[in-house]
Amino acid sequence: MIRAVAVAAFASFFSILCTPPSGASANETITVVTSFPEELTTRYEREFERGHPQIHVRFVWKQSRDALVELAKPEQGGADVYWAPSPANFALLRDRGAFRKITVDRAALPGRLGAQQLSDPAGLYEAYDVAGYGFVANPSALAAAGLSAPRRWRDLASPEYARQLAMPIASKVGFSPALYDIVLQSEGWDAGWRLLSEMAGEATLLDSGVAPTAAVREGKAALALTIDFFAEIARANGAAVEMIYPERTAFLPAHVAMTTGSEHVAAAQAFIDFLLSTDGQRLMMERDSRRHPARPDAYQSAPQGFADPFALPDSTLLVYDSEIGGRRPPLITLLFDLAIVEGHAESAELWRKIHDAEKKFAGNAKAMAALGEAKRLAGFIPVSESDAGTRTFLERFARRDAIDPQHLAQWREEIGAARRQARDLVKSLEPAP
Amino acid sequence: MKRFGLLLCAAMLAGAARYETSGPDTEAFIQPIEGLDGEHAASFRKGSGIFRQAWVIGPSQDHPDFVGLGPFYNRLSCIACHVKNGRGAAPDSENGVARTMAARLSVEGKDAHGGPRVHPEYGAQLNPEGVPGVAGEGQAVVEYADFDVALSDGATVRLRRPTLSFRNLAYGSLGPETKTSLRNAPPVFGLGLLESVADAEILAGAGRPNFVFSVETGQRTLGRFGLKANQPNLKQQIANAFVEDIGITSSLFPVESCAPTRSECYRGASTPELTEAQLDAVVNYIRALAPPARRNLDDPRVKDGEVLFHDIGCSNCHRDALHVADFSLQPALNGVEIHPYTDLLLHDMGDGLADGREDFEAGPRDWRTPPLWGLGLAGKGGDGADFLHDGRARTLVEAILWHGGEAQSSADAFRNLPEPQRDALLAFLNSL
Repeated sequence: MIRAVAVAAFASFFSILCTPPSGASANETITVVTSFPEELTTRYEREFERGHPQIHVRFVWKQSRDALVELAKPEQGGADVYWAPSPANFALLRDRGAFRKITVDRAALPGRLGAQQLSDPAGLYEAYDVAGYGFVANPSALAAAGLSAPRRWRDLASPEYARQLAMPIASKVGFSPALYDIVLQSEGWDAGWRLLSEMAGEATLLDSGVAPTAAVREGKAALALTIDFFAEIARANGAAVEMIYPERTAFLPAHVAMTTGSEHVAAAQAFIDFLLSTDGQRLMMERDSRRHPARPDAYQSAPQGFADPFALPDSTLLVYDSEIGGRRPPLITLLFDLAIVEGHAESAELWRKIHDAEKKFAGNAKAMAALGEAKRLAGFIPVSESDAGTRTFLERFARRDAIDPQHLAQWREEIGAARRQARDLVKSLEPAP
Repeated sequence: MKRFGLLLCAAMLAGAARYETSGPDTEAFIQPIEGLDGEHAASFRKGSGIFRQAWVIGPSQDHPDFVGLGPFYNRLSCIACHVKNGRGAAPDSENGVARTMAARLSVEGKDAHGGPRVHPEYGAQLNPEGVPGVAGEGQAVVEYADFDVALSDGATVRLRRPTLSFRNLAYGSLGPETKTSLRNAPPVFGLGLLESVADAEILAGAGRPNFVFSVETGQRTLGRFGLKANQPNLKQQIANAFVEDIGITSSLFPVESCAPTRSECYRGASTPELTEAQLDAVVNYIRALAPPARRNLDDPRVKDGEVLFHDIGCSNCHRDALHVADFSLQPALNGVEIHPYTDLLLHDMGDGLADGREDFEAGPRDWRTPPLWGLGLAGKGGDGADFLHDGRARTLVEAILWHGGEAQSSADAFRNLPEPQRDALLAFLNSL
């Protein structure tokens, strides 16, 4: 239905304003650097060129690191437009003078979501969509296991969800460092890592973006951490899954910007205008895309059950610090590998023993205090909150191949030592043989 | 007696194995055949990722395994044209640019292997895109002229006749002698099963075979893939699509598919851009994609339509049963009867559908009978729902009415059917 409405709207719009002469020739090509999937970009190409037959859009596909290298070059690889879900890149490139100001209708595009700034205040890049983070759940599987749907990040630390959860590996799945940073910003650095360690303890770790949702859809897990469009696409295609946005989550933007070096300013602005128009924004909600527009009026034709982030209760949204969020992913990726992926089986056994002991010693204050300390040690991370918020510290981890191996070895040893202490503490509660 | 029992068990096991998949209509073309073992399931997943992956211009930190796009190309990935593994869409009538299609180009004569002689300036097909710094070759544009066809009961059906032209040709005019053929991206499920059908069973059909060149063996081989049956197997079909559509070389096609005059094509690495492991994974992915199961089998109209399908001669070419001979991904399917509704052979389809271009032993009016399985789900997954080799038919009725040549009598018979019987035939086709 939504598709029909969108198509009808396009047909009407273009028949009135933009009907091209038959056989009109393309005489200008704009180059758009993007990492959006081809099914989506082809859809935009077709609809945009239908209304602008004199402009041809050429997509150059690059993910974050490659795009940063290319767009930082003096000639910017010939790019006219950068359109991608990579907030850190946009901030970095803006600071390097890579973008020129674009015109935006601020009445229609607030550039903010609650207290969170989505777009560049100076107009050098604009939010195109927002993607939410949370849980994809299989309600039947939850019901079969006698579980209620979690509502907060920390609900997933509860032992009842152990072995029911799937999580993406930060170094393998592009969206997951941001997901874990939202947990860390919501819960606090140390408590957040403890929570991640505890929920990951007996979880299944997966190495592709679609895999967590697939695991839930296929009944291999009742719950998984995910970015929302994977879950929404699965739901729209008939899977019995639902997306849950926990309290204090965040919706992070993808952006669009025009390069400083663009030689096709009017054509590039036309393409950007189309991306940000009501019709352009509706396109992203189609069944196999299911992304959330940054333009509130586009939700008037949203699919049934599709969340409007501009209408969510305040408790859903964390005031996400995008400045820190843009700089932390390399460190989070590194620490996730060290503290969660490496020794995962050993960690799972430790958390299982801690959870078993918590049940056994529920009324024993002294034992519970020891177990609290064991949990702190099991989820220990060898980086302080202060360092993790310091720009100079974070810059040391921007390139993984430049990290001192001795540093890594030291962190690995500290994590191992903390885990050994945690195991000893749990063991000390067991009766002597 | 013991031997009979073993045979019976084998037959029962074979009969129990499912080659089709059921599931949401929107996901019908992306499911693997049941029961792939761990190795084949892993290869299927890897191949799926490669099929979806956009190729990049190197060097790349993010995707070093997917470097080598272009210098000329149609799209960045396989999935861009084979949307959800279904068919592509015909060009918009508004500006007519062919996107999920390939415009094949050749000139008079044959190449050293008996195939079409490629265009001296543009190569085997027009590639509209070029990497930055290299001008794309131009666009194929389709314009349509509508005309009405009357049915015997007075109803009319509007058909559209496409005319292909080219614009923004960056490397000079194509020349008046150039032969062109616009080809829509076909669905890619069920192809592994078709690959497994024995040559002898295909050759027993009523159509004409196309014998083509096998790059791997250097032999003249039965062609069974491609709209003119011009490819002998999936590996060659897929490797050819990589080099022609994305500019990705492989062990089978180690040279960029460009005209000899295009120096852009002879720069860069000499090693194949698609590794053997990547090619194998994509071949295994396509090989393992299951066709969708039929639906509404108990509907009386579907049953009547199936009888009509045979009575008016559709099944002469759209052969309803073939057999799996040797299917290495799932040996339990060996011997199973499948229902793709194709004979994998060439037929003269008349002047209306002719592209005027030879392709090995396929003549200018010849097309390979396309499989009809999954037909009723076309367009349900977000893929195109435009039929025939160039997507000119917007409905199944239009597609039937375009049939000429050897299929003229069937199209005439359809035209003369009363409406309820036409509807029954369409109900049957939509059940596939």
